[in-house]
Amino acid sequence: MRFLALALVGLLSLPAAASVKESEPQFKTIEAKHFTRAEGVELSPQFTDYLYAELRSELAKTKMFAQVIGEGEAVEDADAARSLVIEGMITEYKSGNVAKAVIIGFGAGMRSMKINATVKRRSDQVNLASVNVHIKISPRWREEIMAKAAAHDIAGEVKKALKQLAKNP
Amino acid sequence: MRFLRTLRMPAGFILLLAFSSAHADEPKPTTENTIHVQLPAPVTPQKFARPIHFFVPEVIDRSGNAQPTLVLREKGGVFLDRPPAQIAREAISQSLKAADLLAPDAASAELVLQVYLFHFGLAHGSGLDFFGKVDFAVTVKNLKTGESQQIQASGTSIAGLAVRKKNIQKNVQANIEAALEDAVRNLLRGTQLKEAIAALTKDSASARGVPVLMETAFFAIENRNRQQTLRKLYEEVT
Repeated sequence: MRFLALALVGLLSLPAAASVKESEPQFKTIEAKHFTRAEGVELSPQFTDYLYAELRSELAKTKMFAQVIGEGEAVEDADAARSLVIEGMITEYKSGNVAKAVIIGFGAGMRSMKINATVKRRSDQVNLASVNVHIKISPRWREEIMAKAAAHDIAGEVKKALKQLAKNP
Repeated sequence: MRFLRTLRMPAGFILLLAFSSAHADEPKPTTENTIHVQLPAPVTPQKFARPIHFFVPEVIDRSGNAQPTLVLREKGGVFLDRPPAQIAREAISQSLKAADLLAPDAASAELVLQVYLFHFGLAHGSGLDFFGKVDFAVTVKNLKTGESQQIQASGTSIAGLAVRKKNIQKNVQANIEAALEDAVRNLLRGTQLKEAIAALTKDSASARGVPVLMETAFFAIENRNRQQTLRKLYEEVT
């Protein structure tokens, strides 16, 4: 009877141990850099700061990284192989047209932005993932909402790409 | 004429009402709407080649904010209990002290960190959350040589909105504390500080000794006493 009880406890604790192992972050750190802008992209100066903050917040939510560090922070040499750097560029921005959005609708006159981002391994600068994001919002909404949506999409795409990479290295 | 006189009364009343309502909107600091911001825990600085002692003088506020302690105007306002410059100085000093890298005064310090604060508190966000931001520039100065280098550090934080006044204060406080911690970590664990220290505290042997030896060797080689000079150089270096 005692043996059975012990076996039952052991069986019950197995999934718990497996879930602890699953929740362990795959990477030690990820350094988010301020995204640059292509020529002709006219956004407010604080937009890049807000996108950077949102991206860090969204990357932390993926639970794939033990720490999301700020731009220019040092990493221990031992952790460099399991550390990543994400950088990107806002390649296109269209401020949209309220009149078109109201009169025509169906996506016309929408405010839009395109971002290309790359994730590199810190130790050897090998490109692990490339992400292209295209965000469209109503022209009546603030541009910061677009940053929020972009950061959410980028973090999601990065997570998907890194999981894919872990499955098929 | 009578019409103008009758119009004057309500106009004056409206002006008075507008002035009083504008005056009432201006929040005042009280014990209920004042928050205490500090680092949740000292930030561990990066490891330097050798222990260096820093001194942090008074932080200079360059934000240009007329009301530096007012962080949120809505809902009766949220105020800081101390000026941002003081909070920033305390945070940096506290972290350096915990790592035994803080000098008690400028005279006993190897490097002085003169901090200029450019932003402290909430910044313009999406309106769906609180966006906390702390920005500062630091002049790292070697008092003995007089040389200095400029570095920058910034910290950001995103926190959820709240409806109740108490929760707003709690979220704003947590948000600013997280941004402050991020900025201090960005400064003390940044590669910019490492590079500035390396440039400002060059070892005398590497700064003067080795180039002199190399110069000697160069001229000696020109004079065709190569083997003898190189042996001498080798002995001096080892």
